[in-house]
Amino acid sequence: MSRTLAVARMQLVTKWTYLGNPLVILAAAFLLSVAIFALIPADEPKYGGGSQAPLWYFMVLGIQSMTLAFPFSQGLSVSRRAFYLGTLGLFSVLAVAMTAIYLLGGIAERATNGWGVNGFFFAIPWVSDGPWYGTAVFYFTVMMLMFIIGFWFATIYKRWGTTGMLISLIGSAVLLLGFAALATLSLWWGSIGAWLVQQTPLTMGAWAAVLCVALAVGSYLTLRRATP
Amino acid sequence: MNGAVVEARNLTKRYRDVLALDDVSIRLSADRIYGLLGRNGAGKTTLMSVLTAQAFATSGDALVFGEEAYENDRVLSRVCFIRESQKYPDDFTAFHAFKAARLLFRNWDQAFAERLIGDFGLPVKRRIKKLSRGQLSAVGVIIGLASRAELTFFDEPYLGLDAVARQLFYDRLLEDFTDSPRTVVLSSHLIDEVANLLDHVIVIDQGRILIDAESDALRGSAATVVGPAPKVNEFVTGMKVLHREALGPLASVTVDETLSAAQRTGAARLGLEVAPVSLQQLVIRKTLINHPSRRVPGGDAELDSMEATR
Repeated sequence: MSRTLAVARMQLVTKWTYLGNPLVILAAAFLLSVAIFALIPADEPKYGGGSQAPLWYFMVLGIQSMTLAFPFSQGLSVSRRAFYLGTLGLFSVLAVAMTAIYLLGGIAERATNGWGVNGFFFAIPWVSDGPWYGTAVFYFTVMMLMFIIGFWFATIYKRWGTTGMLISLIGSAVLLLGFAALATLSLWWGSIGAWLVQQTPLTMGAWAAVLCVALAVGSYLTLRRATP
Repeated sequence: MNGAVVEARNLTKRYRDVLALDDVSIRLSADRIYGLLGRNGAGKTTLMSVLTAQAFATSGDALVFGEEAYENDRVLSRVCFIRESQKYPDDFTAFHAFKAARLLFRNWDQAFAERLIGDFGLPVKRRIKKLSRGQLSAVGVIIGLASRAELTFFDEPYLGLDAVARQLFYDRLLEDFTDSPRTVVLSSHLIDEVANLLDHVIVIDQGRILIDAESDALRGSAATVVGPAPKVNEFVTGMKVLHREALGPLASVTVDETLSAAQRTGAARLGLEVAPVSLQQLVIRKTLINHPSRRVPGGDAELDSMEATR
């Protein structure tokens, strides 16, 4: 346990990677969005997708934790299990904190009538409809998912090299395409559309969580035999 | 407890078409300095990686402190192995790396680390990826020394370090070893430089253990006999010859034998000179005799490649 905690603290030795950079990206995206909202001379509410910016950085974090922090942790005699738990634990804490910022941002946004310019960065339609905990679950799981996708691909890369990563990337694409083809041939799109419309942020969050768990378990099994 | 810090049996590691370790069995005892010597690509780093569970053996097993090291935090927390090509997180400075090491090595000695930083003149606020090869080596050396782990591996720690810095490393290692004994494995191909530090020598070549002996036992285990060629040949008849060199009418023959007092007297009577063989020469000769195809007259070419630092 103490070594798991040490792994998390080890990655917080530089405050920038896990704290400074996500906040800078979020702040920059937010300020730019509000500036753009202010410039648009429309009376109806304006919505922006800028709040997804930090999510892409989370994918980078997932990749780097595996390609750089993992070899370093091996040098410091950390077991793979302790590294995995410490890193995922650290990221969960970050995702909780970011989710809180997004929720509070949404509340402030509504209270100030879109920062006085009728622009919405955090409280975007669909995600912020429904109860707050649905929104929270959605933000949290999507953040985790981005991180775990990066982590998962990097784990494959560490274990099987470029070839392994290419195969898994192309394989994923082929699977998705195959599913799309199957859906088209079987005339499923109508029912898929109907199903999607029924989803709420909470249920979508739950599906993302299922995917997270599957990828996290897969990452762990791959990591167990990965070498620095 | 059997007193062995490391007990490896029949370790084999196969990469696609290369046999990196070939049936390696070694035993390391507590509180001694081991030299793991061999050419580039001989299997030194692979062996250390397998022992510390950073890499996996194809077959065979290794016990560290009496247990498997793999996924064993109890064992791993007593071990330090910074590899020669150690990676560090992207935005880490040496200062960050030491701070992280302090979190994970319970015997970490901060005062010692700071003294070493001064000794090596290491810029601790510069990003590690911007450091020179020598400074990068210094980061690994400082973690290895200051971690004070019961089992510490140094993987060619001198790469890029100048002669003064290397001497500093050897001095600090010996000083600190005297104060707090532990098991040290020093992988090197600068054999003459480290010869005096070593209690025990393990030579690995093409994945196989070539020599596994106490330094003291090794020192007198070979000799070079110099004198007129016919007399030298007469003297070495029946002995295991490691190397032969002719200099006009003179011959210089290195034999893999411990010469008795009687033999030495006999040599003197024949007018032959008996010289000791340095550890480096012994390792070179034994390595070359292990694969005769690589033998080149003169032997200086191999000597150079043995000494070359990348």
